[in-house]
Amino acid sequence: MTRISNLQIYCMLLLATAPLAYLVTPAVVMHLVGNNAWLAVLGAIIPGSLLIYVYSYILKKSTRPFPGMLEDCLGKVIGKILGFSYILVFLLGTAVTLRFFTSFIGSHIVPDTPLSVYIGFMLLTGYYAIRTGLENMARISEVVIIFGTPVAFLILLISLAQQPDIHNLRPLLYTSYLKFSWAVYEGFFIFSNIIAVLTLAYFSIEREKVPRTLFKVLITYIGLLTLAAIVVIIQLGTEYANLSAHPTFKIIRSITVGDFIQNIDAAFIALWIIGVFGAVIVKWFMACYVAQQVFALKDYRFVAAPTSLIIGFLTLKMGAGIIELQIIITSIIPLIYGIFYISIPLLVFFILLFKPNPDAGVETGLKAPPLKTS
Amino acid sequence: MRYKRNNKRLDPPSNLREVLAKPISAQLQENLDDLHLLLDRCSDAVFKEFTFGPNRENRGLVIFFDGLVNKEQIEINLLKSMMLELNMRNDNSYPWPNHDIFNLVKESIVSLAEVKTIDTLQDLCHSISSGDTVLLIDGYNIGLVAGTRSWQTRTVGSSENEVVVRGPREAFTETLRFNTALIRRRIKSANLKMESFVLGRITKTDVVLCYIDSIAPEQLIAEVKKRLEKIDIDGILDTGYLEEFLEDNHNTIFSQMEYTEKPDRVCGHLLEGQVCIMVDGSPIALIAPTSFPRFWIASEDYYERYIPASLFRIMRFVAFLVSLMLPSLFVAAITYHQEMIPPPLYLTIAAAREAVPFPAYIEAFLLEATFEMLREAGIRLPRGIGPAISIVGALIIGDAAVKSGLVSTPMVVVVAFTGISSFVIPSYNAAIVVRMARFGFLFAAAFLGLFGVMIALLLMLIHMSSLNSLGLPYLSPIAPFKLSEMTDIIVRRPWFKSTMRPSMKGMENEFRQETTDAPHK
Repeated sequence: MTRISNLQIYCMLLLATAPLAYLVTPAVVMHLVGNNAWLAVLGAIIPGSLLIYVYSYILKKSTRPFPGMLEDCLGKVIGKILGFSYILVFLLGTAVTLRFFTSFIGSHIVPDTPLSVYIGFMLLTGYYAIRTGLENMARISEVVIIFGTPVAFLILLISLAQQPDIHNLRPLLYTSYLKFSWAVYEGFFIFSNIIAVLTLAYFSIEREKVPRTLFKVLITYIGLLTLAAIVVIIQLGTEYANLSAHPTFKIIRSITVGDFIQNIDAAFIALWIIGVFGAVIVKWFMACYVAQQVFALKDYRFVAAPTSLIIGFLTLKMGAGIIELQIIITSIIPLIYGIFYISIPLLVFFILLFKPNPDAGVETGLKAPPLKTS
Repeated sequence: MRYKRNNKRLDPPSNLREVLAKPISAQLQENLDDLHLLLDRCSDAVFKEFTFGPNRENRGLVIFFDGLVNKEQIEINLLKSMMLELNMRNDNSYPWPNHDIFNLVKESIVSLAEVKTIDTLQDLCHSISSGDTVLLIDGYNIGLVAGTRSWQTRTVGSSENEVVVRGPREAFTETLRFNTALIRRRIKSANLKMESFVLGRITKTDVVLCYIDSIAPEQLIAEVKKRLEKIDIDGILDTGYLEEFLEDNHNTIFSQMEYTEKPDRVCGHLLEGQVCIMVDGSPIALIAPTSFPRFWIASEDYYERYIPASLFRIMRFVAFLVSLMLPSLFVAAITYHQEMIPPPLYLTIAAAREAVPFPAYIEAFLLEATFEMLREAGIRLPRGIGPAISIVGALIIGDAAVKSGLVSTPMVVVVAFTGISSFVIPSYNAAIVVRMARFGFLFAAAFLGLFGVMIALLLMLIHMSSLNSLGLPYLSPIAPFKLSEMTDIIVRRPWFKSTMRPSMKGMENEFRQETTDAPHK
């Protein structure tokens, strides 16, 4: 059976959450709470920890990976219907990530190239990765995170040295609690992509340590976003940042090192492509895996081909322009993620609260199956 | 049309096949007739019939191939002993036995170190083809094989392809036994095993699988043996044949085995639990399993002090990236992302490219292709003129191309720097991969700029991480990540800190040494 390490799970989950949030979250949060954006992002650590607790509890009491656990808790019919819905949600998540990414690079890297070219190449690469299997995807994620995360932090730290105005960080006195709460949610909802752990944990070689891995993902996620928010605030200030669609990108463009290295945004985006690729394949893998479980198929890998067509179609048809796309990302996706990645798991959590613990010899998401002795 | 396997075509003609399968006859004349049939038109086969014994009433036959044996040994240790010394055994002190002359000859007369008996004509043919001499005695249905192998060989010299400043210089030769001796001389342990195989239906090539019994994982040894035993080809002429038989994935440009001509490097790998495969007639040893990051490691790294060795490794890693991606990044930058280049530099590049009639990617492709051709020509040409041609090519053609406005100076600089970087990679098979992949990156950059380069990089990464070398992930220890082993990949630990061997599936003996302190502490 396929086995992956907890480090690989960490890398896959970080890829599923961080790349999109890195570019989207600081801007959205800053629109809501201005200079307090970094506090709101930092505050996301609380709902993040609660979500980890919920997922860990579900893993502790579930004997089957997601989406099988839905059938165990909610009955076969509802479980199947929800499972099917999750396929669509994961496909939608993949398509949104891809659409945001392609429109972003289409407007910043090679403006004259049709989006379908980018989408086609990304889907081709993602399809190849999924065809090679989970173990291979985990290895790819490992390479991307090991080399990509230090670069992401390095770029932010270099940005920090470009004419910073530390006074911009001062919190505003009159921040609406409602807006702040919404900003915390905006900082947090992309993190709910760690729902993939409900499946991935069952492939772990050290299942009991999965919750610890989830906390590591949360710390890295919050660290990266908080630093990004801080850099944007002290570099650009709230007013100027709010004029920009992607302030994180703006500060990277402003980096100059030694009066020679300049305009490295293209290089940054090139690296970011790899991160987004990781985000795409994790969600896409989940869609394929859930489809395999729901329809009782032999293998998830061949599902990659038909789903690539669906993702491609969805991506092309989603939002005619950047405004519609912004609405989808800032309003519709938080709602969908809120329902499927937070509320339904919460419901499962409450149902499991009243269920007895599985027998000692039964495998769960946090307990490996007992060794067979001959 | 489907390929139809025809096993009969792989074997000798039916009449010879029958003769070959025959046991050695007790009638010398019958053996002689069979051998004449088998070795028909073999002008180098030597048949020496003679008589021996007190009354010269016993008949013997010595068979060997001229050129493969030490004739002096045959004359002194075999023929002279039998024809002269044996004839003197008629006095009372050395009575002539009435029976078992064969054993007497084997145990008391033939004064050679390697002797063994055979009982089929097939074994006889194999023995004489290997350079041994076979003695047949009338009345006995067995033959005596005497180890008399000796032929003109290249002596052990210094390595030509893996040059080192510090460390052993000896290199393997084409003679298998010399090569095994070079390893045995360095690892004086009974645990060093050298298992022999004879591969190739026609060539009957000797192949040795070499490993250290207590270190190499048993399942790895079993797997290699299983794959070797499955090989059923007419001939094995070099380790390159075996490489393709043994590797896990065939449809890839990435080599899944290391090769070397240096015995010290083989010994280093054996001590890390890997296995080595050597073929008679090849001065190259195969090492398996391996992973891609190991191709950046030079044997000299372990002889040089660890700080400079680590810096050299980092430099090699950078050189690998430069060699792989510099032309494509340059093409992407000047074609699509001009804003990344500082204005003064871009103006210089633009001025240099003003008169060039080709787009940047065509220019890069032409120069890269020319460079590769010059490199190939430099290797194939006779040694005397090879370097001269390379210099003429590089200087005169390059200079003429720039002056005529066909290519620009910055592109020449980029391609030359890329070429130099590719020479920094210590492993030739990894360098070949980089040379091939570079063209793919170039096309990707030409069509999609940095996005294309990244897509090409991703495809390469996915492909590489899907490969295994005899069960070892090809990107190990980067993916799956093992921090403890990374300290022997990107940098090198000091020897006194190097307590563990690189881990491998099934390896039980992982410790090189117990202590982690320097001896002076």
